[in-house]
Amino acid sequence: MPSGNDEQQRILRARAAALARVPEESGAEGDRIEIVEFSLASERYAIESAYIGAVHPLKELTPLPCTPSFVLGVINLRGQILSIIDLREFFDLPERGVSGLSKVIVLRSDSMEFGLLADAVIEARWIPRSTLRPALPTLTDVREEYLLGVTQERLVVLDGGRILSDRGFVVHEEV
Amino acid sequence: MLSNMKIGSRLLLGFGMVALLLVCVGALAIQKIVAVQERQQTFYEHPFTVSRTIEVVHTCISEINRNTKDALLAENARDREIALAQAEENNRKAHENLVLVRERFLGDKQIIDEIAKDLDTWEKRRERTGKLLRDNEKVKAVVWHREQSKGIIAKIENEINDISQFAMKKAAALNQESFEIKDQTVRFTYALLTVAVLLAIVIALYITRSITKPLATAVEVANKLAVGDISSEISETSQDETGQLLRSMERMLQQFRNMSELARQIAVGNLSVAIVPQSEKDVMGNALSAMANNLREMTREIIEGINVLTSSSSEIMASTNQVATGASETAAAVSETSSTMTEVRQTAQVSSQKARNVSDAAQNTVQVAQAGRRAVDESIAGMGRIQGQVAAIADSIVRLSEQSQTIGEIIATVNDLAEQSNLLAVNAAIEAARAGEQGKGFAVVAQEVKSLAEQSKEATSQVRTILNDIQKATNAAVLATEQGNRAVEEGVRQSQEAGEAIRQMGESIDESAQSALMISASSQQQLVGIDQVSLAMENIRQASEQNVTGMRQVELTVQGLHDLGQKLKGLVERYKI
Repeated sequence: MPSGNDEQQRILRARAAALARVPEESGAEGDRIEIVEFSLASERYAIESAYIGAVHPLKELTPLPCTPSFVLGVINLRGQILSIIDLREFFDLPERGVSGLSKVIVLRSDSMEFGLLADAVIEARWIPRSTLRPALPTLTDVREEYLLGVTQERLVVLDGGRILSDRGFVVHEEV
Repeated sequence: MLSNMKIGSRLLLGFGMVALLLVCVGALAIQKIVAVQERQQTFYEHPFTVSRTIEVVHTCISEINRNTKDALLAENARDREIALAQAEENNRKAHENLVLVRERFLGDKQIIDEIAKDLDTWEKRRERTGKLLRDNEKVKAVVWHREQSKGIIAKIENEINDISQFAMKKAAALNQESFEIKDQTVRFTYALLTVAVLLAIVIALYITRSITKPLATAVEVANKLAVGDISSEISETSQDETGQLLRSMERMLQQFRNMSELARQIAVGNLSVAIVPQSEKDVMGNALSAMANNLREMTREIIEGINVLTSSSSEIMASTNQVATGASETAAAVSETSSTMTEVRQTAQVSSQKARNVSDAAQNTVQVAQAGRRAVDESIAGMGRIQGQVAAIADSIVRLSEQSQTIGEIIATVNDLAEQSNLLAVNAAIEAARAGEQGKGFAVVAQEVKSLAEQSKEATSQVRTILNDIQKATNAAVLATEQGNRAVEEGVRQSQEAGEAIRQMGESIDESAQSALMISASSQQQLVGIDQVSLAMENIRQASEQNVTGMRQVELTVQGLHDLGQKLKGLVERYKI
C-alpha cells in the first residue's frame, strides 16, 4: 500500500513541522495579551480574554419582547439569567439568524455582564500588543468606537472594556 | 197382312183369340152349371119336399089311428080325453102338411084335395066315436070305429102312396135331366179346349217363326260383321221391329262399307279424301277424320323433317369431314403431349426428391428451434435470478446508505464534542490567563485540549468528506442498481419476447416442417398422378386414334344416313296430301 504509506508519511511530516514550530511568546511577556478569536457573519473578530468570563454554546434562547432589536433574548446559564447581544446590528453585518452551533461569549466586568452572540469560537491565543495596529479607515463609526486594534492577519480585536462600559447596551424602556 | 203387324200386336192378337175361346168355354160351363143347379133346386123344392111332407102326413094319420085306439081303450075319461085331444092335434098337423104338399106338388092336385076331404070325413067319424065313448057306449064306439075308420084309412094311405110314387118319378126325371146336361157340357168343353190348344200352338209357332227368322239373319250378319265381313246383303224387309233392325243393320253395313272404302283410300296413301262423320257421336267417323287429318299433318311434318334430315345429313357429312381432320390433328397433338408428360414426370421426380430433403431439413430445424426455446427459457430463468440478486444489492445499498446516515449523525456528535472541547479549551485558556502564573501549566493543558479538539474536528471533517464520498457513491450505486433493475426487467421482458418469438418461430417452423412433409407427400402423389396422367395420355392417344378410325366409320354412316334421307323423301312423295 504505497499510497497509504505516502499519506501516513505526509501526516507524520505535518505533525513534526507543527511540533518543531518555535513558540511566539519568545518576546517580552508584558507586551502580550490573550485574545479569544471568534467568527461573526463570515468575519473574524477577537476580544481580549481579560473581559471574558467564559464561552458557552447558545442553548435555550428565550426572546424578550419589547426590547431593541440588538437584544436577542436571555438564556439560563447555571441558574444565572444572561442577556444576549447581537453585534451584527451595530456592525451592519448581514444577519444569519441563530443556529444550534452559535456560541455565547460571556463578557464580564464588575458592573456589567452580558453575552455576545458568535457564530463560532475559534481559539484563545496570545498575541504581542505591538502587532496591533490602529483601526482601518474603512471601518464604520461604531466598530471604530469598540476597536482595540487590527492584527497583522487583519483580525479585528474589539475592546471588551468599552463594550461593557457602553451605556447603549443598557435597556431601559417601558412599554 | 199379318206379317206386317208389329210383334206386339201380333202377340196380342194370338193371345186374344185363345183367351176368347177360353172365355166361351167358361161361359158355357157356367151356363150349364146354372142349369144343373136349377134342376137341383126343383128337385129339392118339389119332389123331395113333397115326399118328405107326405111321409109326415102319413105318420100323422098313423098317430091319429093309434090315438083313436088309445081313446077306445082308455080306462078313464081323462085318458080318453087326452088321446082324443092328441088325435085332434095330429089331425091338425096333417092338414097343415097337406097344405104344403098341395103347394109343392107338381102333379094333379085333386088327389090332395081328396086326401083332405077324406081326412075331414074321418074326423066326423071320429067325433061320433068320441061321442059314443063319452056316452059310455064303448062297445058301440069300437064297432063304429071298426066299421067306419078302416076303410077311410086305407083309402088315405093309398092316395099317399100315389103321391109318393109320383114324387119319386119326378125326382128320377130331374136326375136324368141333370145328367144329360152334364154330359153335354163336358163334351162341349172338351171340344172347345182342344180347339183353343190347337189354335194357341199354331199362333205361337207362327209368331216365333216370324221373330226368329229375321233375328237369325241379323245374328248371321252381325257374326260376319264381327269377323270383319261386310259383304252381307239384306233383301227381306218387313214393317215390324225385326224389319227395322235389319234395315238398321243394312245402314250400318253401308256405313262400314263407306268407312272401309275411306280407310282403304288412306291406306293406299290418298290422304286427300274428305271424311264426313255421320253425327256428333260417330266415334269411328270422327276418329277416321282425325286420323286422316293427323296423318296429313304428320306426313307434312315428316316431309319437312325429311327435307331437314337430308339437308342436315349433308351438313353433317361436311362437318364429319372437318371432325375427322380435327381428330387427326388431335392425335398428333396428343402424341406431343405424351412426350411432354414424360419430361414433366422427370421434373416432378426431381421436385419430389427436393421436397423430401426440405422436409428432413425442416425436421432438423424443428429440433434446433426446440433447443433455442429451452435456451431462452433458461435465459429467462437466469434473468429472474439476476433480478433477485440486483434487488438484494439494492437492499444492501439502501442499508449501507442508512448506516452512512448513522455514521454522519455520529460524526455530527463527534464534531459537536470537538466544538465543546474547543470551547472547553478556550474557557480553560481564559481561566488559566486569569490564574496568572499558576495557570501557566493549565494553559498548556488547555492548548493540548484545543489541539485535540482541532484534530478531532479535522478528523471528523475528513470522515465527513469520506462519508460524503461514500454517500455519493451509494447514491450512484442506488441509481445504478435502479437502472440495473430496470435493465434486468427490460432484459426479462426482452427474453420473454425473444422466447415468444422463438416459440412462434418454432410453431412456424413446425408448420413449415408439416408443410414440407405435406409438400413431400403431395409431390409424391403428384409423381404418382403424373404417372397416371402419362398413362391416361397414352390412353387418350389410343382413343384419338380410335377416334380417327371411328370418324371414318361415322363418315360412312353419315353417307348412309344421307342415302336414307333421299329414300325417305321418295317414300313420302307417294302420299297425296
